[in-house]
Amino acid sequence: MDRRTLLKGLTGVGSLAATGGLSMPALAQGAAARTLRFVPQANLANFDPIWGTQYVVRNAAALVWDTLYGIDATLQPQRQMVEAEEVSDDGLIWTFRLRPGLKFHDGEPVRSKDVVASLTRWSARDPMGLMIKAIQNELTAVDDRTFRWTLKQPYPKLLLALGKNNSPCAFIMPERIAQTDPFKQITEYVGSGPMKFAKAEWVPGAKAVFEKFTDYVPRQEKASWLAGGKQMLVDRIEWVVIPDPATAAAALQNGEVDWWESPIPDLAPVLKKNANINVDIADPLGNIGSFRMNHLHPPFNDVRARRAVLMAMNQEDYMRALVGDDNSLWKPLPGFFTPDTPLYTEEGGEILKGKRDLAAAKKLLAESGYSGQPVTCLVAQDQPITKAMGDVTADLLKQLGMNVDFVATDWGTVGARRAQKTPPGQGGWQMFHTWHAGADCISPAPYTAIRANGDKAWFGWPSSPAAEKEVSAWFDAKNLDEEKAAVRRLSKAAFEDVIYAPTGFFLSYTAWRKSISGVVKGPLPFFWGVSKTA
Amino acid sequence: MTFSTTSTAPVPPGLVIAPQLPDLLLPVAVRRGVLGFLRNHPTVAIGGALLLLLVLVGIFAPYLGTVDPTALAPARRTRLPSADHWFGTDLLGRDIYSRVLYGARVSLAVGLSVAALASLAGLTIGLVSGFVRWADGILMRVMDGLMSIPPILLAIALMALTRGSVGNVILAITVAEIPRVSRLVRSVVLSLREQPYVDAATASGTRTPMIILRHILPNTLAPMLVQATYICASAMIVESILSFIGAGTPPTIPSWGNIMAEGRALWQIKPYIVFFPAAFLSVTVLAVNLLGDGLRDALDPRMAKSL
Amino acid sequence: MLAYILRRIVATVPVMAIVALFVFSLLYIAPGDPAAVIAGDQASPTDVERIRQSLGLDQPFLVQFGTWLWHILHGDLGTSIFTSLPVASLIAQRIEPTLSLMAITLILTLLVAVPLGVVAAWKAGSWVDRTIMAFAVFAFSLPVFVVGYVLAYVFALQFEWLPVQGYTPLAEGLWPWLKNLILPSLALGCVYIALIARITRASMLEVLQQDYVRTARAKGLGQGNILFVHALKNAAVPIVTVIGIGIALLIGGAVVTESVFAIPGLGRLTVDAILRRDYPVIQGIVLLFSFLYVLVNLMVDVTYTLVDPRIRY
Repeated sequence: MDRRTLLKGLTGVGSLAATGGLSMPALAQGAAARTLRFVPQANLANFDPIWGTQYVVRNAAALVWDTLYGIDATLQPQRQMVEAEEVSDDGLIWTFRLRPGLKFHDGEPVRSKDVVASLTRWSARDPMGLMIKAIQNELTAVDDRTFRWTLKQPYPKLLLALGKNNSPCAFIMPERIAQTDPFKQITEYVGSGPMKFAKAEWVPGAKAVFEKFTDYVPRQEKASWLAGGKQMLVDRIEWVVIPDPATAAAALQNGEVDWWESPIPDLAPVLKKNANINVDIADPLGNIGSFRMNHLHPPFNDVRARRAVLMAMNQEDYMRALVGDDNSLWKPLPGFFTPDTPLYTEEGGEILKGKRDLAAAKKLLAESGYSGQPVTCLVAQDQPITKAMGDVTADLLKQLGMNVDFVATDWGTVGARRAQKTPPGQGGWQMFHTWHAGADCISPAPYTAIRANGDKAWFGWPSSPAAEKEVSAWFDAKNLDEEKAAVRRLSKAAFEDVIYAPTGFFLSYTAWRKSISGVVKGPLPFFWGVSKTA
Repeated sequence: MTFSTTSTAPVPPGLVIAPQLPDLLLPVAVRRGVLGFLRNHPTVAIGGALLLLLVLVGIFAPYLGTVDPTALAPARRTRLPSADHWFGTDLLGRDIYSRVLYGARVSLAVGLSVAALASLAGLTIGLVSGFVRWADGILMRVMDGLMSIPPILLAIALMALTRGSVGNVILAITVAEIPRVSRLVRSVVLSLREQPYVDAATASGTRTPMIILRHILPNTLAPMLVQATYICASAMIVESILSFIGAGTPPTIPSWGNIMAEGRALWQIKPYIVFFPAAFLSVTVLAVNLLGDGLRDALDPRMAKSL
Repeated sequence: MLAYILRRIVATVPVMAIVALFVFSLLYIAPGDPAAVIAGDQASPTDVERIRQSLGLDQPFLVQFGTWLWHILHGDLGTSIFTSLPVASLIAQRIEPTLSLMAITLILTLLVAVPLGVVAAWKAGSWVDRTIMAFAVFAFSLPVFVVGYVLAYVFALQFEWLPVQGYTPLAEGLWPWLKNLILPSLALGCVYIALIARITRASMLEVLQQDYVRTARAKGLGQGNILFVHALKNAAVPIVTVIGIGIALLIGGAVVTESVFAIPGLGRLTVDAILRRDYPVIQGIVLLFSFLYVLVNLMVDVTYTLVDPRIRY
C-alpha cells in the first residue's frame, strides 16, 4: 500500500472517530466513482446562455438544455430533438416534428409551444436568428409535436443556425422560462438536456453541480459533438473553479480534480510527464488571436496606418508569447478563417508573410500622416491571452516609432471602453485585443468580427463595402464552390481594408486523469460518453 | 499593516511617550554621535545599511549589468538562469535580473512615498483632531470609516477610476495608512495636553502653534519615525499583493509584485521567476523592519508594546 | 458597562454610513461597465445599452444611493448583477470558508505566537530570544502568497500529506475540514504570528520587571504559573489591542490566500466582483467587512475590562 492510501485510510479512521460516527455525506465511496470533477476555463458567474454569451456559459448550458439540431464533427447540422423536418419547394415553409418522449427536468413533456417561445427569445439575440426574424412570416406551433416556420425569403442555412455551437445556441426551454425578456436573465434553469442543474449547490464563481437526468432519452446514433446520442456515464458532474493555474495543475496531479479544461501551455510538459494524466489538443478548430484598430479616429482611420502595422507585426512573436516553445500549438495565419476547414483561404494575406520590413512600414506610417499622437491601447490583464498579446503589441508599436498609451485594465473595463465611439482623448480608444474560437470563424455566418458594415459592425467599426458584398454573396451561394469563391474575395477585401489584424492561429490543450475515458476533441468539452473508473 | 491604538479606550498605561525633560529634541543616545549610536544599536545599522544598499541598486540599476527591462523576445521566454541571463528570462523573454533591479525603484518609491505622505497627512489630521475639539469627533469618525475598508479594495477601485499607475497605488495605500498615523498623533496630543508643563505654557501665553512645535512635535517624532518605517514595509508588501491580484502597478513598469504575479502560474516548473523578486522583496522589507525595530528600541523601547 | 457598550454600538452607525457613502461614490464614478461584460464579447453596442437600462444603471447618483440605502435598512443587500442572486445569499454561501480560515488562523496564531513571545521575554537576551525574534522579523517580511506556494509545494505536492486546494465544509467531518485549512492558515498566519509574538514579548518584558512578579517568585510560585497566569494577564492589554487590529491583516491576506488555495470564500468573491464591476456584491461585502472590524474592536474594548480591572468606563 503506498503512502497516500495509508494516510487516506488513517484519516478516514480519524474522521470517523472525530465526528463520532456522524453519517457520511451523500458522496460515499461508491458514488465518488460516479462523480466527475472538472475545472472549467472560467467562472460560471451567471447561467443564461441567451442573455450571457460567454463560452463558459454555453459549455455549461449544453449539459442542461438540448437543441433541435446539433452540428457533428463534420460541421454539418444533424437532427437532435427533431425527428423529421420538411421544407417546401420554394424554401419558404419549414415544418418540424419533435421526437417522442422528450421531457423537461420538471417532468413536463417538451411541446411545440416551448420551442416557439425559446426560438423567439433566441432569435432576438443571435445574429443569424435576427436575420431569420427579419424575413420571418410567422413561427407557430401546429400541434404538440409539430411546429412551422414560414419565411418571406429562403434561408438555406436555417438548420445550421438551429444546430450551431456558437453562442448563443438555440437551446429549448420551457415556455414560461423562455418568455423572459431576452435582455434579462432567467432565474430557473430547467431544460431537457441529459443533466439537471443543482441550483441549490451552486456557488457562483466557485462551484457548479450537475446531476444525471434519468428520464433523458438519447438518440440511437453515436454521439458526435452536439449530434447523436448523449449518453451520460457519470451520475454527477462538479465544476470546480480554480483561478490559479498552478493550483489547478497541482490539484489535477493530486487527483483532487479529474479534468482540466484549459491548462496553460507552459504547464503541459509537467502534466504530460505525470503517469496518471493525459494531455491532448482540446479543439482542432483552435483559436484565432486578434487585435482591432479603431477605424473611426486617427491614426487608424487611414488604411495606410493599418497596413503599416500589419507589415511590421510578427505573428510568431504573438504566438510564442501565448504558447511558448511548443510548435505543435500554433500556426501563422495569413488569413481570417480557421485553418483546415473548407473555407480556409490565404487570399490577400501576403502582407503577413515573409520577412518583416520595418523600414517600409515606418515609411508607410509616415505617409499616412501619423505625427506622433498617442495611441491608446486597451489591454485586459486578467485574461492571459490578451495580456500576453498586449505586451507584444506595445513593443511592436514602439518599434514603429509610435507613441503608446498603454491602458492596462481588466476585461470589464475593456468591454466598456471598446463600445465608445468617442475620440481617444475623450474616453475612446485606438486598439484593443481579443481572440475568437476557431469554431466561430469557419464561415461568415457566425463571424460577427469579419463584418464591415461601418456603424453596425463590431467594435472598431470597419467599413468595407467590398467585404460586405462578399458576405451577402456567401449567404446567397448555392453550393460549396460558390461559397469558397465568395470567401476568397472576402478575405482579399478584408486584408485590403484591414478589418482587423489576426495575430495567429493557436491551439489549446486539455488534460484529464487516466481514470476517466471518453474525452473527445471538440469546440467545447463534451461530457457525454465520458466515464470514470475509481 | 501598521499598528497603534485605535479604539476610543483611554490610552493604556505605559504608552505615553513623554521624556521627562520637555524640550528634548533628540534622544540622548543620538547626541553622542551617529557612529556611536550605530555601534550601540546594531539592528539599526544592519537594517539601514541593507536599505541603503537596495536604494543604491535601484538608483544605479542601469549601470549594474542590466539591459532594457521591457525589451521582449518571446522566442527566448522562460529560459533558466545562465551566463546571458543571470536570473533567467520571464514569460515574454525579458531579462529577470534587469527587471528585478529596476523593480527596486518602484517598490522603494512606493514604500518611501507612502511612508512620507501618510506620516505628513496623519500628523496634520492628528494635530487638528487633538487640538480642535469640535473637529475631533468628525475626523475620528471619518478615520474609523476609512480604516474599516480593506486597503486592497480601495486600491482596486482607485485603479479602475483612471488606470493602473504607480501614483494611484501610492495614493491608495497612503489613504489606507493615514488613519493609523492620525490616531497615534492624536493619542500623543491628548495625553500631552493634560500635562502640567503644557498647561503652564498655555497659561503663560504661548500660542498653540508654538506649543505644537516645542512640546508636541518632539514627542511625536520618535513614534512617528518608527511607525513610518513599518508603514514603508507594509506598503511594499501591499503593492506586491495588489499586483498579484492584478490591481497594482501597470505591467509596462517592472515591479517586484508584477514579476511575481506573472510568474505565479509557473511556480512549479520555473520557480526562479517568483523566487528572485520574492527574495529581494523579503530582504528589503526585512531591512526596513530591522531599521524600525532598532529605532524603536533606541528611541523608546516601551513603544514595543504597541508598534 | 452596558451603557458603554450601547454607546459604542450607536457610535458605529455614522462610521458605517461614511463607509457606505465612500464606497458607493467611488464605484459609481468608476468607468468599468458591468453591462458590457455581461453582454459578452460578441454583443453589439445597442445590446449593451439595452442591458444597462434593464439593470437600472442609468439613474442619477443620489437616486441609486438612496434606493440602495433604503433596501439595506430592510435587510436587502441587493441583487448581484451577474448572477441575479441576492447578495445576502451569495455572502451567506461564502462566509463559512472565510470565517473558518480566519478562526483557525487566529487559534493557531494564539497557540503559537503567545507562548513564543512569553518564552522570548522570559529568556530575554539569550540565544532563544534572539532566534525567536529573528524568526519573527523574517516571517513578518514574507509576502503571503510566497509562503502559500512554498507550503503547497512542499507539503501537498512533494509529501502529499495535505490537499493542495479546496474547502470541505465542517458538516462533512472535522478532520476533512481541518485538512483543507491547515496550509492556508499557516500561510496566512505567518505574518500574524510574527506580529503577536513581537508584541507579546515587548509587553511581557515590561511586566516581568515589575515588583509583583518578583514577589510572586519569592512566594515560591512556579515559573509557568508566574508567566502565564500573573504576568500574561497584566501584559494582555496591548496584545489584545493588536489582535484586534490584526484582523484587518487577516481580511486582506485572506483574499490572496483564498486565491492561491482555491478556497471559495469572501476574499475571492470580492476580487471577482471588483474585476466585473458587480456593484451590489462589492457594496455588500464592504459593509460586512467594516461591520466585522467594528465588532471586533468593540469586543477588544470589552475584553480590556475583563483583563485589566483598572480600566473602567
